[in-house]
Amino acid sequence: MHASDVWMIFITLALVMYVVLDGYDLGIGVFTLVERDDRSRHEMHTLVARAWDGNESWIVLLAVAAFGGLPLAFGVASPAVYIPLILMLFALIWRGISIEVLDQYPTWRRGWGRAFGLGSLVAALCQGAAFGGLVAGVKTNGATFAGGPFSFLHGGYAILTALTATALYMLAGAAWMYLKFDGDLQRGIGRAGRSLTIVLAVAVAACWALLPAAGTTTPVATGPVRLPVWIIGAAVLAGGLAVAYRSFGRHPDRGPVYGALAIYAGGLLLLLGLLYPHVVPPNITVHEAASPAGSLNFLLIGVGLCMPAIFAYNTYAYWVFRGKLRLPKEVVQP
Amino acid sequence: MSQSALVELSRWQWALTASFHMTFPAVTVGTSVFLIVCYGAYLRTKQAVYLRMFRFWRRIFGIGFALGVVSGIVLTFEFGLNWGRFAHDVGPIVGPIVGMEVVTAFFLEAAFLGLLIYGDGRVSQRVMFLSACMVCLGTILSVTWILAANSWMQTPAGYVLTNGQFQPANWWHVIFNPSFGWRVAHMLTGVLVSAAYMIAGISAWYLIKDRHLDVARRGLSIAIGSAAILLPVQMYLGDTVAVQYIEKYQMPKLEALEGNWTSTNTGWNAFIIPDQPAAKNDLTMTIPWLGSAIANDWTGRTPTPGLLLTSPALRPNVLTTFYGFRVMFYASLVMFAAAMMGVVLRLRGRLYAARWFHRLVLVALPMGVLAIIGGWVLAETGRQPWIVYGKLLTADAVSPLHTWPVVGSLSLFVVVYGSLVGAYIYYVVRVVRQGPEGAEDPDAGRVMVPPRPAVAGRREAR
Repeated sequence: MHASDVWMIFITLALVMYVVLDGYDLGIGVFTLVERDDRSRHEMHTLVARAWDGNESWIVLLAVAAFGGLPLAFGVASPAVYIPLILMLFALIWRGISIEVLDQYPTWRRGWGRAFGLGSLVAALCQGAAFGGLVAGVKTNGATFAGGPFSFLHGGYAILTALTATALYMLAGAAWMYLKFDGDLQRGIGRAGRSLTIVLAVAVAACWALLPAAGTTTPVATGPVRLPVWIIGAAVLAGGLAVAYRSFGRHPDRGPVYGALAIYAGGLLLLLGLLYPHVVPPNITVHEAASPAGSLNFLLIGVGLCMPAIFAYNTYAYWVFRGKLRLPKEVVQP
Repeated sequence: MSQSALVELSRWQWALTASFHMTFPAVTVGTSVFLIVCYGAYLRTKQAVYLRMFRFWRRIFGIGFALGVVSGIVLTFEFGLNWGRFAHDVGPIVGPIVGMEVVTAFFLEAAFLGLLIYGDGRVSQRVMFLSACMVCLGTILSVTWILAANSWMQTPAGYVLTNGQFQPANWWHVIFNPSFGWRVAHMLTGVLVSAAYMIAGISAWYLIKDRHLDVARRGLSIAIGSAAILLPVQMYLGDTVAVQYIEKYQMPKLEALEGNWTSTNTGWNAFIIPDQPAAKNDLTMTIPWLGSAIANDWTGRTPTPGLLLTSPALRPNVLTTFYGFRVMFYASLVMFAAAMMGVVLRLRGRLYAARWFHRLVLVALPMGVLAIIGGWVLAETGRQPWIVYGKLLTADAVSPLHTWPVVGSLSLFVVVYGSLVGAYIYYVVRVVRQGPEGAEDPDAGRVMVPPRPAVAGRREAR
């Protein structure tokens, strides 16, 4: 196995960790925009406040892993999605500050709460748009990006993926909240989760069906491995959607989380089956984009040695807060 | 679309976001050392005042730390967003170094910052002390890795060029490139000095206001004492950086920072108004003899080399290089003088009584940060037109973007970062007004929320 493939696995891991972890807290952020009850919103804020910054450290790791390991891809893909990525950065800053202010100044809760929700929504939409812009193909000229500021839109395809990503994150947020909350709030989320599952199923199907129309440059499905990977991926994805739909509103409370994880896994398989070995379709493969072995080995050793500690720390963070969310009695409600 | 406008805009965006980011590490690294000192003193002497100091400075540390992290994320993405060609060409070298910074420093800080800030009553004193040490180690590692990456761009070594891409040939030579050692020492001393002046300045303000005298006196004494030791060292390191790397490897930077065009000036320019296109200064104020003396010729006959030695296309911007250096140098002189006066006052037993001195230290509060930003302006603009010195032109490193998205993002950064600076100053002033007594009870004056995770690092102290 090539060092660049090993590094690709690592980058995929960082991407999955980011999307799974920050996905649910962005989704909860979007939920706060539609939640009318003050107390419920406060519980949602608390759930996010405990975890968001640890979750976001994975996107930094993702960025430097691409910079150091796949410099060609990083240098071509980033300018191709300049507008959504810049907006996403501002949204993440904005959202991080809002949640901290919410935590400290309970009197300003309404305005900052809305700011937090909007920041989460913009970040989710931008990530989806950037994803769509990249998957549908990037116009390149050798080692440079050759498109315009809006070519990431691909005739509106990026808008579809933006909405899909938001629905996915909201579903993940609903699944996490279903696990962490109880009572009326949990029942309400269960109902919302069911509707979201249907929306997401339609959205994913649309993304898949419309991709050939949007990405004239997408690699053609060839090779003996692709079709089985697609079939397995689609089966896992469909299974995840079914599990999520069935278990929202039922016991055990962790059912929707399993459903969401299966949706992520199926989606990832479909994506890899679609793109691999391309990292920036249609022209750049992981082997072309990869740094030379000297850089990859340095990264694999240095980063590899640190990963166990990073995983231990993240696991501990979630273990400390296992079980249902419990707010102390002293919380003052405005 | 004008290519040079795009390069200028991208450079401005980088300059703005990097300077904003740099402001926070400039004080948090040194403050984390001070936290170790305070908590260590508390563990040894069991005097409550040291615990009060620890808790007070910890709050100011936490705020700056959070902003430093958030603004650092932006820089990581800008490597690709605005400098895509740079990302491709130097990714195999700079990328792994920055990657090591993330996995060693970033995650170490994240893990222990939570314990440091929210660990009161939940962890033992020993673990608290360990956390302070680990956070400090993280900040120092961070500075070291970043300086390794930047020094490689100043004095590239240990690479081979393959198809326009810099690839590592010898990691030892890459990391320990010719300018790295002196520059990292210079930078680490610089951040310690700027933290010392922030601590001294806030302590001096309390002395002027006659408040929290026990905390203020100890703070002023430790900070001025450290500055008095560090500043002579820093002057020596700065001079060595100039001689060992600028003069040896980047002559045009030296010519620009001294602000001479012809190579005839034996004096030292204190103030100039340069006219870059005409290759002359409209106004020059020179201190005679000094330039030659700095070049170690005490007879006053050695002239300083001028920019006419460098071809016009390869000349750095004199205005920014000259004044970047002057801001750093003049601020250091003020801090040096203040530290020496502080030592004299201390020996005469008047350090805590001399009001005029406290006012001087209060004025000197931001000088360390100014010196660091000035020094970086010198290092970065003095390297131009190169992004990797002598090898890769900045104009060839920029992403092929349209101008207006960059105008848009730059304007947004101006607005957002402007308000964040405002919020930071507002918050620090608030914490200082509240004083160390307010820090006594970490839960005072706010809504009770559940215990935060020991690991939810990198957030504002509350």
